[in-house]
Amino acid sequence: MTAAPTLPTDQQALAEEIYRLMVAQGALFAVDTPIRQTLANLAAFLARREGRDRAELEAVIDAALSADSRFTREVVDGEVRFVTSRQGAYVPRDDTDTHSFKQRLHEPEHPLPIDDISVVVSTSRPAITTVEPVYISDYWQMQLAAAPVESEAQAVAAPEAPAPVVEPVSEEAPAAPVAAPAPVVEEAAPEPAPVALEMPAPAPVVEEPAPPVAPAPRPVQPPRSTVFTLSDGTAIDLRRPVDEIMAEHGELLAQVLAERLEHDPLQRIVRFGRKYYPEGSLASFGKNDLRKIRDYILERNEPLLDTEIIADLYYHNPRQADYEGFRFSLNYRLHREKDFEFVGVEGAYLWATRGLAITSGKRVKAAEMGQITSYLVEGYDDSPELQSIEAIRQSGNVTRLLTFFEWEYGVLPLDAGLAALLPPPLLPDQRSAVLRFESPQHYTTYLVEVRFPAGNRGGWLQGLEEFFHEHLVPGALITIARTGEPNLFHITYEEGPEQSERLLTFDEKKNRLAFANVSFYCVVDEDQLPTQSRYGRLNRLKAFPMGERRKAELMLEHVSEIIGDQVGTPAEPRYAVTLDDLYVAFNVLRPGSRAYLKALLERGEDFSADESTPGLYYYAPAPRASTEEVEEEEEELPEERPPLRQRYSSRYDEDE
Amino acid sequence: RLWTDTDLVRHYLEILSKAVREENE
Repeated sequence: MTAAPTLPTDQQALAEEIYRLMVAQGALFAVDTPIRQTLANLAAFLARREGRDRAELEAVIDAALSADSRFTREVVDGEVRFVTSRQGAYVPRDDTDTHSFKQRLHEPEHPLPIDDISVVVSTSRPAITTVEPVYISDYWQMQLAAAPVESEAQAVAAPEAPAPVVEPVSEEAPAAPVAAPAPVVEEAAPEPAPVALEMPAPAPVVEEPAPPVAPAPRPVQPPRSTVFTLSDGTAIDLRRPVDEIMAEHGELLAQVLAERLEHDPLQRIVRFGRKYYPEGSLASFGKNDLRKIRDYILERNEPLLDTEIIADLYYHNPRQADYEGFRFSLNYRLHREKDFEFVGVEGAYLWATRGLAITSGKRVKAAEMGQITSYLVEGYDDSPELQSIEAIRQSGNVTRLLTFFEWEYGVLPLDAGLAALLPPPLLPDQRSAVLRFESPQHYTTYLVEVRFPAGNRGGWLQGLEEFFHEHLVPGALITIARTGEPNLFHITYEEGPEQSERLLTFDEKKNRLAFANVSFYCVVDEDQLPTQSRYGRLNRLKAFPMGERRKAELMLEHVSEIIGDQVGTPAEPRYAVTLDDLYVAFNVLRPGSRAYLKALLERGEDFSADESTPGLYYYAPAPRASTEEVEEEEEELPEERPPLRQRYSSRYDEDE
Repeated sequence: RLWTDTDLVRHYLEILSKAVREENE
């Protein structure tokens, strides 16, 4: 690599020696890195080593190195320096990039003028996918700007349909513009009748020839009514304070507006529950979002609050300005998805998903339970007689006795008393709500599903089976009370000393009722406690399949026959039974109120009331048909009765 | 016009009342 300079031998040797010296100094440099040394330093070093005169040596070195092509001479601030490198003569590195692809990619040949960088590129990265704005062409923007602006008062007075010309009431047609009356406002009449009703026969507007007069300095507005009427004739005077109008007509106006927004073909304002939000401002949720939410609900294995979903999956802070809008968007989107079911109430928006078992135990199918509790919607709900609705609303709690059926299956019929205590459904098509029942006596919590009544189906609560079996017996008095949270309730009972009784139990494996020794620690109503000593024949009741138990008349006949006292003959049996005993026994097989039982007894052909003893009834079953006749009837039955799905609404089909 | 629940109705009534008031003045 080193050059071979043609120099006098002594100069050549000197240059070679200095080159080796400088390369030794820069031994660790890169091969093309410059190695610099001043002439003074070189002369001083060699003068000391060889004992020669320094000034003379400087001249010799300068001549030798200047003639050698491996060295470059440079003068900095009057000082002579020589530069070389490990590869010989120093050549400055050329960093010029000969590739132009990057430049051609990023720099357009004819760039468009921009006012704001955010027009060209997004300067922020959104956390979630967002709806791209829809740009409207300049043509339509100009059309919009040219459109006449409609004032509010006009919008009200002349809304959608072309309005007929209405003359001012009790005013004569003005003869000339200058004579037109000043703007007047109707005096508030004691009963503000709709203006249109006060009109005389419709008179055409006649323009009289105006006499020549000086033009009025300011155009005078025709008088305008401030009383408006709704479609049902309700008059509203807009001069009254808004608070007064809201107090008197707020609900009606809200109903009119809600209908209007619902039927808006563009759906510009959308609704969830009682809240409204612009459709264009909704945050977007894609399929991945929905799958993520569904997986999370299944992972947690219980319905989740919307706020939990947002906090855990989207890390959205409630203090963020767009939090409520994002929350509305989530609820609105999930409500439109068939994989999600809203099971919340006002103040606690809970979401369940397909495949999530909300409450344990599927012992009673929803379709059957809806029919069993249908007596509640048929007018046989006597719960307000025990505790008035007003008292329940004021006290915030409801107290009731447990029947055997309720205790066994952990189910409570949703009667008027419970409905007054529990929150109503938030959405019009809401099927169920999930509440949390807390036992302050045992520090346990239960998820309770409330199934709302629908059509001819009754409602009920389910999910308390474990609590009932662990702490209570049939006949116990329970109290359900509201708490500060809309979906949290307390369930309590009165504790008592230990008692042991032989009580009715249901052996599910053998599918039969039996008496067993049970110890319990709660206060009970002795009349409702199904003990062997008092209701010794209850274990003879047949544990019908749930589908059969829907037939209340059949159950009543069976119960009367089992627990009634035989007062007839074997050929013509006749059973005497009291209403109180019937109530206890009937509620072993299925729920039923006393009012319902009375109605069944009154319309049952084989039942008769004892006129001397109130509450005592006789059951005299009709002579049984022969076996052949029964078989014939059974053969005809399938032809007469339509299939189950045709007989009942499809609401609970998926539960069957 | 429906502007950040009955709140929508109230807001619109306020707009109308204001328009009526201004016209009377």
